[in-house]
Amino acid sequence: MNYTIKKEDVPKFLDFLRKEFEVIAPVKEWQEQPRFDVYTGQGLFLEARTVFSPKRFFRPAREKIFSFEKKKGSYEVKAEVDSTKRVFFGVRPCDTHALDVLDELFIRYFGEDRFYSSRRKNSIIIALQCLESCETGFCTSMGTSQAKSPDLVFFERGPDYFVQVVTSQGKKLAENSFFRVTKDAAPTASITNKIDLDTNDLGKNLYSEFTNSVWEEESERCLSCSSCTQICPTCYCYTTEDDFVFGSQTRSERHRLLDSCQLKKFTKVAGNHVFRESRASRLRQFVLHKLSYFEENHGKQLCVGCGRCIEACPVNISLVDIANKIQGEVAQK
Amino acid sequence: MITPEKPELAEIVEVKDETFDTKTFTVRYVNQKLQDKFKFVPGKFMMVSVFGVGEMPISISSSPYRASSMKFTVVNVGTVTNAMHGLGKGDKLGLRGPFGNGFPLNKFRKKDILFVSGGCGLAPLRSAIYAVEEKKSEFGKINVLFGCNAPKSFLFQDDMSSWKGKGFKVMSTVDKADDKWKGNIGVVTSLFSKLSLDTKNTVVMMCGPPVMVHFALIELRKLGFRDEQMFASMERMMQCGVGYCSHCNIGKKYTCVDGPVFNAKDLKELPVKED
Repeated sequence: MNYTIKKEDVPKFLDFLRKEFEVIAPVKEWQEQPRFDVYTGQGLFLEARTVFSPKRFFRPAREKIFSFEKKKGSYEVKAEVDSTKRVFFGVRPCDTHALDVLDELFIRYFGEDRFYSSRRKNSIIIALQCLESCETGFCTSMGTSQAKSPDLVFFERGPDYFVQVVTSQGKKLAENSFFRVTKDAAPTASITNKIDLDTNDLGKNLYSEFTNSVWEEESERCLSCSSCTQICPTCYCYTTEDDFVFGSQTRSERHRLLDSCQLKKFTKVAGNHVFRESRASRLRQFVLHKLSYFEENHGKQLCVGCGRCIEACPVNISLVDIANKIQGEVAQK
Repeated sequence: MITPEKPELAEIVEVKDETFDTKTFTVRYVNQKLQDKFKFVPGKFMMVSVFGVGEMPISISSSPYRASSMKFTVVNVGTVTNAMHGLGKGDKLGLRGPFGNGFPLNKFRKKDILFVSGGCGLAPLRSAIYAVEEKKSEFGKINVLFGCNAPKSFLFQDDMSSWKGKGFKVMSTVDKADDKWKGNIGVVTSLFSKLSLDTKNTVVMMCGPPVMVHFALIELRKLGFRDEQMFASMERMMQCGVGYCSHCNIGKKYTCVDGPVFNAKDLKELPVKED
């Protein structure tokens, strides 16, 4: 069974959800960049893909994972698990695929990471299908232009949204007066991207060109600013850090912080040895982890084709350009 | 479930000064049940927490046959190691692990063994040497090579003399000697020519700084060793131990899950030297 909802009813629907859940939606206030944030009833932004993905609610830039308290010469260790119930509204197809990729790593492959899986299991995803491509996206190349395992999918259709029910959890959310039952079949959306990535044997070819001069050439203008990894919806690498609780003599906390392979300190070990010293090696790590290594281990790309890294790079380095250049060279051999 | 579990409390029961900057900590879980269940293969490592300061990967340097406690040999080089050096008997640490694959000692039965170590790389190898020592009759000739930068960094002198007493061939060298040093001078690879090795029937286990592993593999290949015979424990900045944080990627492999012990054949296919 599918539904429709009037566009003007969407904010009311979200307000209704806010009674029970923390609602996370794309918002844009003042001159800020559109981002996913806690929806407070204003600034809903559904016109285009947001600059910042919902990653920070699953893999926060800084997350408390343990607290330690010193007691009588010993310590009490507590795990801090976030189990807030959240509904994510307006998640674009690429970002639903990003969640699927993170699920693969943090839930299915090595075993469950409880800090991630608790956030994930307590979240309901309402996807919003894109009907046209954004400037830098290449989702059709990556096969991520349709939403992956959401609970509901919204399709824009004139003054309404067509609402496709995917899970029973999603159906429950649609069982209220904002929605009307429809017998129409779910619409299909086909997108034509402005950028294409040649994905034939991509991982294998990129890895075989490990010493190609492209890495050196492209990284010459790289600033190692790590914008690409911060903004990427799938970049998950983290570091941990212990902090004392300010004003306390007995308590300390362990935090997980997003880290970036673009920083020199990422591979620094005792004795100040850095394994990836050059910018070329770090840029190559980013591209290969996205398009080669992860696929070798998990059978899917770590890149979802959202194009945010291309958009965010201050010196116009493009993952797609690098990959296509190498693909072209391999094809000519 | 191998998720980063919370660090379990452990107590330092003994601290031994090894060199001017290195200490060996004997540590036991506070919960005796955990200690009773504790088993490890030489080459595995633990994530050691100094609460309020941080966590670091440290390999176990004690014998797998003496698992009633574990030993960590720690050089004072960074924030967490420095804090750990400030701890003494009775102080508490957090432990997670053991992680990694360890040396496949079971496959080495009836073989001669060559241990190649550089600096504190001897720590994880000491665990393997202890294990071989315990089951001496199952292995062939044992050679232990050790190199460090200066005589003041010379590790485990007691162990070395006891190994010599048991018929192991033990040789050491320093990069820069002082007036008192009477032994070999030079890098550890310079000792290879002084050994008489049955190249076909010897397996190599090595651990040391990246540059040592790099050149040791080259020299050993020249001596006729095949890649299948050589195992190296790689150093990377492991931060989670379970493959999540990606600090220890070497190509598609994770040092913490697929390693830290790699066969030289695998290392050939991996981008070990990335700079």
